[in-house]
Amino acid sequence: MNSGLRIKSMLPWIMAVCLTRAATAHHSTAEFDYTRQVTIKGTVKEVQWTNPHSYIQLITDGDAGQKIQWSVEIGSPSLNINMGWRKNSVKAGDVVTMLLSPARNGKPYGTLRVLTFSDGQKLDGVAARVGAGPGGPPPAPAPGSATPPNKGP
Amino acid sequence: MRRPNHLMLLLCVAALATGASGAQDKAGPTGGQESLLGIWVPDSAPRALLTAGGKAPPLTAEASKLYAERRQRLARGDAAFDPTSWCAGPGMPRILTMQYPLEIRADANRIAFIHGWYRWFRTVDMGAGAVDPPLPLTMGFPVGHWEKDTLVIRTVGLIDTTVMDASGLPHSEQLTLTERLRVLPDGRLEDRITIDDPENYTQPWETVVTFHRDAAARVTDDVCPDRMASGAPAEQVSPARKSASQSKPAAPQRTTTAKPIGTVAHFSGVWEPKTFGFMVPNAPLSPAGQEVVTRNAAAMQGGKIMQTAWVSCRPGAVSTMTMPREKIVILESADEVTLLFEMPRMVRRVRLNGSHPASLESSYVGDSIGRWEGGTLVVDTLGFNGYAELDARGQPTSARLHTVERFTPSADGNSIDIETTIEDPEYYTQPFTIKRSWKKSPARHPFEYDCMENPRQEDFENAYYVRERYRPVCMRVEGAGMELSKMVCRREQE
Repeated sequence: MNSGLRIKSMLPWIMAVCLTRAATAHHSTAEFDYTRQVTIKGTVKEVQWTNPHSYIQLITDGDAGQKIQWSVEIGSPSLNINMGWRKNSVKAGDVVTMLLSPARNGKPYGTLRVLTFSDGQKLDGVAARVGAGPGGPPPAPAPGSATPPNKGP
Repeated sequence: MRRPNHLMLLLCVAALATGASGAQDKAGPTGGQESLLGIWVPDSAPRALLTAGGKAPPLTAEASKLYAERRQRLARGDAAFDPTSWCAGPGMPRILTMQYPLEIRADANRIAFIHGWYRWFRTVDMGAGAVDPPLPLTMGFPVGHWEKDTLVIRTVGLIDTTVMDASGLPHSEQLTLTERLRVLPDGRLEDRITIDDPENYTQPWETVVTFHRDAAARVTDDVCPDRMASGAPAEQVSPARKSASQSKPAAPQRTTTAKPIGTVAHFSGVWEPKTFGFMVPNAPLSPAGQEVVTRNAAAMQGGKIMQTAWVSCRPGAVSTMTMPREKIVILESADEVTLLFEMPRMVRRVRLNGSHPASLESSYVGDSIGRWEGGTLVVDTLGFNGYAELDARGQPTSARLHTVERFTPSADGNSIDIETTIEDPEYYTQPFTIKRSWKKSPARHPFEYDCMENPRQEDFENAYYVRERYRPVCMRVEGAGMELSKMVCRREQE
């Protein structure tokens, strides 16, 4: 039996999958560039505490004074509960700073690493749990696969 | 018969935990429980709930304003305040007002309500003690007990993004629902519901929904996004609904859904995967299968986001075999093993000691029959519709898929090993076997995975659809400025 070897070779990938669990159930992580980190600050417009992913809509000020709306994936209800969030942890009108990994397409869209409230309290987002993420040190692809890992089925 | 006392319930649970088999469950079903089991069809499926006395619910002034706004929106054809309009979870008690049959199943530990609308179910924990919901869900955290032949269910932890009925009656997360279910002398099922929500109602109020037997009714594997994609509404509303007084008298109960198990179950309870699997390595792909996988890989390498049946909220049963996720509730009766999956939400029914029908209608879940081989439950499934991928690479399946699962409980009863043999000559050169394991979960309830809750526009902007069917029907589109997001659904035939 070589199942032990197979499992070992896939361990980094399996660990990443286990850590991200439900939050990556729905879409591919190819959507976000986990090697990059962006910090944005603004006012929460809407919190979508929803499956398959939860989002915060954040209104920020652009360089030219224009308002920019960011869509920030924070995880999923079951995942965020396990990370210490509660449904009302973040509310519309809260002023927060978000460290996130942005979408590859350059749009104001990202996945949350850390949210910081104005009083300094912090909440981890789903991306905080994947380190550099699959865009960082490449995890082992599935045997026989010529593709980058796509963590959501 | 009296309802089981707590001591007996504890004995049952202890026996279950040890995985003992063959011992008699002396508690057994009560007369009340037995009479509740089986398929029920709504008498009237009310669009707007009234009090038991036929009056308007006692809304607070603020809730009354919100309700009036919703009624106006409804008059304009805008039902977007109701998540069912885009196939997301109806919640409670909304799902009881839908014109779909429901089936009640039970074993010694819990009672399950399996609804005919988009694979929804709720499991009523019959254990002692209140629950402390970690987060609100559409179906909440129901806990039940028997008062003579009446099943009393108290539900808390109900999320406020759902509505109480199709007319938009609001509720808050302070809502406590207390249901009293019993079979009336005329054979109908009555669910008398007390609604206690001080945020929206000036006082607790009671409403009643009733159901009747219909021997022709079936609870099928309803897939709402497929219905919407075909141009039909998310919720089918029968034009000729029966009033309670017109409902049929009790019909003989279908034997396939009736009797809870009399012996201690092997698998009854809440389980969760020991590990999460996303890949099926070394599958013996045929040239046709390899072609699909290569095409998927090329799209992903080109930066596209791959969209599979799972992603489009239409997963097939084979996905639960290869990619087990989150909790699984199992109910066992003498003639069926019922598997209720949290993620992806799915109901699988395994008929024991039956045979596949000569003519099978294909479906996402297929047709499953089971038999015991010693201590192993062997489940044979045919009749898949070919819309399912085995893993995150999109390894395909066809309607020729045939699976054989071998469920073997551990000696201590705390885990189940599952060996699944997958055979699909369309895409694989030979049968192959994968192994997965579940362990006992300490949870009294599963969570929910409401896949259709928030399909985001951003998720689908750069998509590669493995099958054309997987295109989303509805997407959440962000509002400009301070305008809130809204769901936008397409209705055209694909």
